[in-house]
This record gives sequence, structure tokens and C-alpha cells, in this order.
Amino acid sequence: MNRAYLAHLLRANRFRLLLVAIGLIIWGSILPIIYDAFGEQFRDIMDSGIIPPQFAQFGGGDIFSLTGSVALGFIHPFAVALNMVFAVGFAGAAIAGERQRGTLEVLLARPISRRGLYLTAAVATALFVAITVAAQTLGTLLGAAVTGRVDELGAGNLPFLWANTGLLYGAFAAVALGASVSFDRLTPALGLALAVVLVSYFLEAVGSLWPDADFLRDYSLFHYLDARRDLTGLPDTTAFAILGGVLIVAVVYALVVFPRRDLAAPA
Amino acid sequence: MTVIETRGLTKRYGRQPTAALADLDLRVEPGEIFGFLGPNGAGKSTTIRLLLGFLHPTTGGATVLGHDIDGGSVEIRRRTGYLPGGIAFWDGLTGERLLDELAAMSGGRPVRRAELLDRLELSDAIRRPVRDYSRGMRQKLGIIQALQHDPELAILDEPSEGLDPLMQRAFYEILEELKAAGRTIFFSSHVLSEVERICDRVAIVRRGRLVALEDVAALLARRKRNVELRFEGEPPLLDFVPGVSEVHVIGDRLTCRLEGDVAPFLAAIAFAKIHDLTIEPARLEDAFLEFYADELEPAVAS
Repeated sequence: MNRAYLAHLLRANRFRLLLVAIGLIIWGSILPIIYDAFGEQFRDIMDSGIIPPQFAQFGGGDIFSLTGSVALGFIHPFAVALNMVFAVGFAGAAIAGERQRGTLEVLLARPISRRGLYLTAAVATALFVAITVAAQTLGTLLGAAVTGRVDELGAGNLPFLWANTGLLYGAFAAVALGASVSFDRLTPALGLALAVVLVSYFLEAVGSLWPDADFLRDYSLFHYLDARRDLTGLPDTTAFAILGGVLIVAVVYALVVFPRRDLAAPA
Repeated sequence: MTVIETRGLTKRYGRQPTAALADLDLRVEPGEIFGFLGPNGAGKSTTIRLLLGFLHPTTGGATVLGHDIDGGSVEIRRRTGYLPGGIAFWDGLTGERLLDELAAMSGGRPVRRAELLDRLELSDAIRRPVRDYSRGMRQKLGIIQALQHDPELAILDEPSEGLDPLMQRAFYEILEELKAAGRTIFFSSHVLSEVERICDRVAIVRRGRLVALEDVAALLARRKRNVELRFEGEPPLLDFVPGVSEVHVIGDRLTCRLEGDVAPFLAAIAFAKIHDLTIEPARLEDAFLEFYADELEPAVAS
């Protein structure tokens, strides 16, 4: 790992990181407040049977319990999109973007091995993901505090939620970094990483809303983020292991493939 | 110790029938300015990228500064300054910040930076964002980042591209001083006159193959010069003068070709009434075309 390059990456992304973190703090705090204001009404609506019960199960989330609303906030497309700014946007561009711009030449003219370069980008990605997920978790705590429901939240279990969410986005980021080291252009790297995220989200959504397709959820990485269970203090170790396994496989792939690739002169 | 040594270095991309580089055997000695010449697509950049570990050889191998290119590329790059062709930077940074960051990544102190900034007249612009730089300024910045830590070996890919003639001259002087300080310079170019001016030796590649490897001074010395003189009365007798050939007299004008020592020629014309005498200096381009016409044409058009 090259500390000077890590410092360069952190400096270059600090404003973007700040904006995303603020966005996630605000978003994280909103759903506990919505639950506090409208939770009972939503429960009445669901109990009336107007809305199919599957809509209350998406990603383990609902709007008529605090843990359910937090879970919904963590799997909501808005939160996913914000977290993907670094997990896919930064990670996908980390190597392929430098290569497309021509700056990978300048980087690799330094005494940095390709594995060192990859690991530096991976550490920066891990830091960004850890911070953005922490921001959303912090927002959740703030929302619960504002509504006086910290006890109901189980604040002591927030580290489980942070770790579970961090592992989910870490796995996506590792896949994006794997794509990034595999292509000379940004578009295919980002396209592949985004495709993995979208297919994964689609499988989780379809499996949640259509009981006959429930088996599809097993193939979605989002299925292994269970915020409600994390907040009850009984995190699913199998889910952690699966997310960790995907992350490790993607990292090993990149560490093997990147040093072996030929980096021809940019067109 | 030989600075660069390649042994049958070959690079073939995928299943392409033609090798981008085939069986390259080269030795670059310490303190030498070595020109690597060829038209676009000849294999110059491929060679450089193999030497720096960006590409992996299909067959053959090489050592740079005693390190094998296969396993020692990090150590090679620690002791080398590299200017890529068509260099790109992070445009949001100022020139100064960029040089600082690149020096920090290299781990070496930028001992020559101030001098290079002065010599290449970039001191005034160094605090401006790189995005505001012209092409020539970017090239200067590229040269400075490659040389600021005073590397043992400089590998420069088309270094004078985008530099105006004054800056080219300043750059050549810098290279000559580096050479005097014992540094080795390996640079690629497609401009013969540039190579002629500063290189000790030159290799020419064409279609991935080495077609010529010569000592520039020796090559120029072997080159026949074109001579033209205007006389009054009888023309000087040059037919049997050593080194003189192809003598033609038309009216008061005599032309011939002169090779090697000029003393016999000067002695032969000493008693003639000469109004004007022109001896065209030997040009590397002509020398190469003369000795390697079959291999080079039409590759070295430039």
C-alpha cells in the first residue's frame, strides 16, 4: 500500500464524501421520525388488508415498528444510491478510470506494485464505505433520539447494523474493484458493477413481493442485509459469512488478475 | 554494469500473427544517451512498457539497472524516471501540488525540481491548476516529474513533443548535463534530427524488429558529404583524391562527394581559384538511408 497515494485519494474525494455522509445522516434520521409520526396510521392501513402483506416485508422493513422503519431506510433505493456513490462509483473508477484518463501511467511510473496500487484503492474504498454507512447509522440514532425512542431502537446493537451494511457495500465495492482492474475503459467496469447491484436488487424486490419467487432472494446480496435482526442483537452469522465470502473472492480475483494483465499504451 | 540489457525480447498481443516486438537484443551502457527511433507503431512504446513492467514479455527477457523486468519492476521504477507519451495528469491539482504528490509516491526527494522549473520556464505557472496548462506546459511538467528526483535512468517517450524550439534546446541541454553527471537516458523519438543532435547511439525499430543499431558519431563520420564549389579557369583535379567520388563539372560549378578525412581534398583545391565552397554536413537521416536503405524505406520518412 502506498500512503501518499492513499492521501491523494482521500483528499480528492473529501467533498464528495462529506456530501454523501450528510445526505445519509439526514436520510437515516428521517425514517424513525416518519415512523414516530405515522407508524400507527400505517399499521391501521396494513391491518385493513388494502395493501398486500408482502409490501410490509421488503428487505425486512416496514413502517409500523422502529426497527422495521430503520430496516426499510437501509434497503430503500435512495440509501442504496447514496451508498453506491463510493461502493460502485469510486471503486469502479479506481483503476479503470485512471487507466482511461491516462493517469495510471503516471501512477505506475512510481515504485508501486500493482497489488500495492489495488490495495491502496481497496483501503480507500473500505474507508469511504465505512464512513458512509456510519453516517447512515448515526442518522438513525439521531432520528431515534429526536423522537425519544433510543431504547426501542436497541442502540447497543447499532455496530451489528453498521457491520452488516458495511459488509454488503464492501462486497459490492470489491466486485466493482474487480471489474475496475479488468477493463481499460470506465464504462464496462461501471456497467458490470452496476449490473450486479441492479440484478441483486431486482431479485430481492421480486422475491419479496412475489411469494412464488421467494427462492430468488437467496441469490441477492441485499437479502443478506437484515437490519431488523441486527438491531435485535441476533445478527445472522451465515449472512455475514456469505457477504464476507463474496468480498474475499472478489479481492483475491483482483489480486491475481491485475498484476498479470498487460497494460498496453492508451489509445 | 549494463543499464538496460534485452535478450530476445518479444511481445505478441493475443493471437495477432505479427509480433509488436520481436527478438530485441539491446545493451544500453551507463552514462549514455540512447535514442530509440522508429515510426508510429514500430514497437518503441511496447519496448518501454516491457522494460517498466507494464507489459509482460511473450518470450525473452531483460534487465534494467540489474533487476529482471519480470520480478523487479518496482525496484526498477524506484531508480528510474519515466515520461509516458501523451502524458495525462489529475487536472484539478496545481502543478506544484501534483509534483509534490508524485514525489511523495516515489519516495524520493525532488532535488532537481527548482532547477528544472527554471530551465523549462515553468516557475511562474507552477501554482496554477494543471487544467489551465497548454500542451507544451503539460509536457514540461511531465519532464520535471520524471527527472525531479534525479534518477539513475531516465526513460522518456517522445519527450520533445509539444515543446517549442527554444524549450527543445533547453531540454537537450538538460539531457547533456544529466549525461555529464553520469545518468543514463533512453528516449524514443520519431525525429531523426533530434536523435542526431543529442544521442550517442541510436537504434531503429520497424514493425517490431531492430533494423539498425549504430554509434551516431561513427555513422556520421562514415557518411559521404555533398561538396559544391565555384571556380575560375581550370577546375581542380579531384579524380584521384582519396575520399572524393562522383565528380561532376558543369560550367564553373563542380560537385562531388567527400568521405572521411578532408585534408587530401583541401590540398587538392588549394591552388585553384575558388569563389565559393559548400560542404554540406553529414545528416543522420542520409546516413541511415545510405546504409540501411533496404530495411528502412519508407519507414524513416521523418
